[in-house]
Amino acid sequence: MDVFLQTLVAGVLKGGLYALIGAGMTLIMGVMRIINLAHGQMMMVAMYITYVCFHYWGLDPYLALFISMPALFLLGVGIQKYTLNPLLKAESLLPENQVLMTVGIGMVLTEVIRFIFTSNYLSVKTGYSDAAFFLGRISFSVALTIAFGIACAITAFLFWLLVKTDLGRSIRAVAQDEEAAALMGIHVERIRSTAMGLGAALAAAAGTLLLPVYYLYPDIGGPFTRRAFIITVLGGLGSTVGAIGGGLVLGLAEAFGATYIGMASEEMVGLIIFLAVLLFLPEGLKRLTRV
Amino acid sequence: MNKSPMLFRRKAFAVWSLFFAVAWGVVSCAPSGSDQSAKAETIRVGVVLPLTGEQAQFGEIEKDSFQMALEEINGAGGVNGKPIELLIEDDTGRPEVGRSAMEKLITQNKAIAIGGGYSSSVAFAIAGVAQQRQVPLVVNTGSDDKITEQNWDYVFRINPPASEYPAAVNSFLQEVVKPKTAALLYENTSFGQSSSKSFAEQAEKLGLQIVLKEGYESGAVDFKPLLTKVKAAQPDLVYMVSYLMDAALLIRQSRELGLAPKLFVGGGAGFTLPGFAANAGDAAQGVFSADLWVPSAPYPGAKEYFDKYAKTYGKNAEYHGAEAYSCLYVIADALKRAKDLTPAAVRQALAETDMKTAFGPVKFVSYDKKTQQNRLPTYLVQWQNGKLETVWPKEFASQPYIYPVP
Repeated sequence: MDVFLQTLVAGVLKGGLYALIGAGMTLIMGVMRIINLAHGQMMMVAMYITYVCFHYWGLDPYLALFISMPALFLLGVGIQKYTLNPLLKAESLLPENQVLMTVGIGMVLTEVIRFIFTSNYLSVKTGYSDAAFFLGRISFSVALTIAFGIACAITAFLFWLLVKTDLGRSIRAVAQDEEAAALMGIHVERIRSTAMGLGAALAAAAGTLLLPVYYLYPDIGGPFTRRAFIITVLGGLGSTVGAIGGGLVLGLAEAFGATYIGMASEEMVGLIIFLAVLLFLPEGLKRLTRV
Repeated sequence: MNKSPMLFRRKAFAVWSLFFAVAWGVVSCAPSGSDQSAKAETIRVGVVLPLTGEQAQFGEIEKDSFQMALEEINGAGGVNGKPIELLIEDDTGRPEVGRSAMEKLITQNKAIAIGGGYSSSVAFAIAGVAQQRQVPLVVNTGSDDKITEQNWDYVFRINPPASEYPAAVNSFLQEVVKPKTAALLYENTSFGQSSSKSFAEQAEKLGLQIVLKEGYESGAVDFKPLLTKVKAAQPDLVYMVSYLMDAALLIRQSRELGLAPKLFVGGGAGFTLPGFAANAGDAAQGVFSADLWVPSAPYPGAKEYFDKYAKTYGKNAEYHGAEAYSCLYVIADALKRAKDLTPAAVRQALAETDMKTAFGPVKFVSYDKKTQQNRLPTYLVQWQNGKLETVWPKEFASQPYIYPVP
């Protein structure tokens, strides 16, 4: 029973962070209709920003959120404005050339970071990195619990933004029908850039929250891009609620897979779910939740 | 009417030429040693190492050590008056990239001997190419047992195979700790599987009961489900085969969960690197590890190598570096003795190697299923106050061991 509960806790806490990563990718997916294959790499850049803040200025990783998120927002806007938007106008050989562009951007980010910081492993060790509290005999990592709380708060804020504000309505309008949105006077290009920026900022939040319990090197982006992709498909492409559900499902599946099947097959469990969803529930969790 | 196919063709042409331009750029950016116009007097020796990707940190230590050995050898007159030219290729940690690096070194650069081979899977892949192309390869790190169990006469290995890593650990357990139960965690790679399998076999001989044996995928965020199971099994000993950051996370999360066996033992690799203590922090205190080489080892040049490396690069070397450093000495020694400078003659000379290096005496012998394998003793080290101390066998100890671990 202890093992079961501990697995459940580990899965939910990890799932909270996955949800944040997935929500960011989903937002970009919804508005841009492309899979952002540089998502994990953007998260990696945010983690390096957090590392620099902590290492050189002694800034706590949670406060570094206020630097890493705006920084990545700007990076996302810049990428959209100067690399992806021009591609929309070009007459292209392949309709997917924006996706190819994101792959390239991911590689450039990885190699630039490698050039600056080398391939060395880095980690941020705070007083609470290895701290844990116990409820009964179940251990809760302090850092992951705080991260889960902040992730919930950021997700709630995202919903408020999408549902209640003009900006959110514009984003949803562009996601639904670009031409109609443009006819209603929405500046579509600006909304695209904003959505890319928001998606990048969400990835940044996940990276910054993860750093105190994990570690960092330039190639860390790849595995997280893959996870974000699985979560987005799991959630039904473009559905924010679905992505949050998808994140939790993936976190739980990895944790239970690790405990009851074997940790060696952790990634396999995620990919099997991915295949199963594509085969039996092609619209993802969206179909279950109808949001 | 035929405008659009024309346009399409021109675009396709543009895309393809861009593709080739990039591909060509990548090739020509490769280490400049591949310059065909290099002087004919040099002797070309290839090296395959992971210089980018997840294992780049190890590759860097080995590359620096190869360079150090190269300068020393060439400074002392090279091989019978001819300097060695080192051609270092990046395998990025992937077997298929390693294979093409080998092909390039052999066909394009005409290397007559090759060293390197960091990860077991890459080392195995490039050993296959060496055998097929009949160019001698001296493996210096890849430790999966099967690499020297194929009867490949062009493949030599100076480091002990993974199954022999825990030799010193076992004698320490037998004489000092006498544990009853053990849990075994290993990364699911050929190195991890090979080491853990042999540890399990040897543990049985010691009367040690393996209560849990599980692999994991390298790079996991959260080991707690796995460690919870270990905690429930309450073993006396936890033996782990992991690379650097998995090792640091495993130890940190074990402490977090309150997992407290009598001792933690690492099976080399990540547990002996300076980065382990840096990333695991206080959690590293008291952790034991198998080790293949220590600066206090009784080999001529071991201490000198360690000091010189520390002075040149400002960080501490460990066994990977010593392996690489000695690898080039072994190759240079064979080149000196070879009848002529052909791969076949160098292979013959390598087979007759009998020399002392900073990594230990090197002589390629055949035993059990293995061929052309060097045999060396191993050591047990322990992290004490942020420093890696040799604690076993006693005659080489730099500090007494701390056990029971407080």
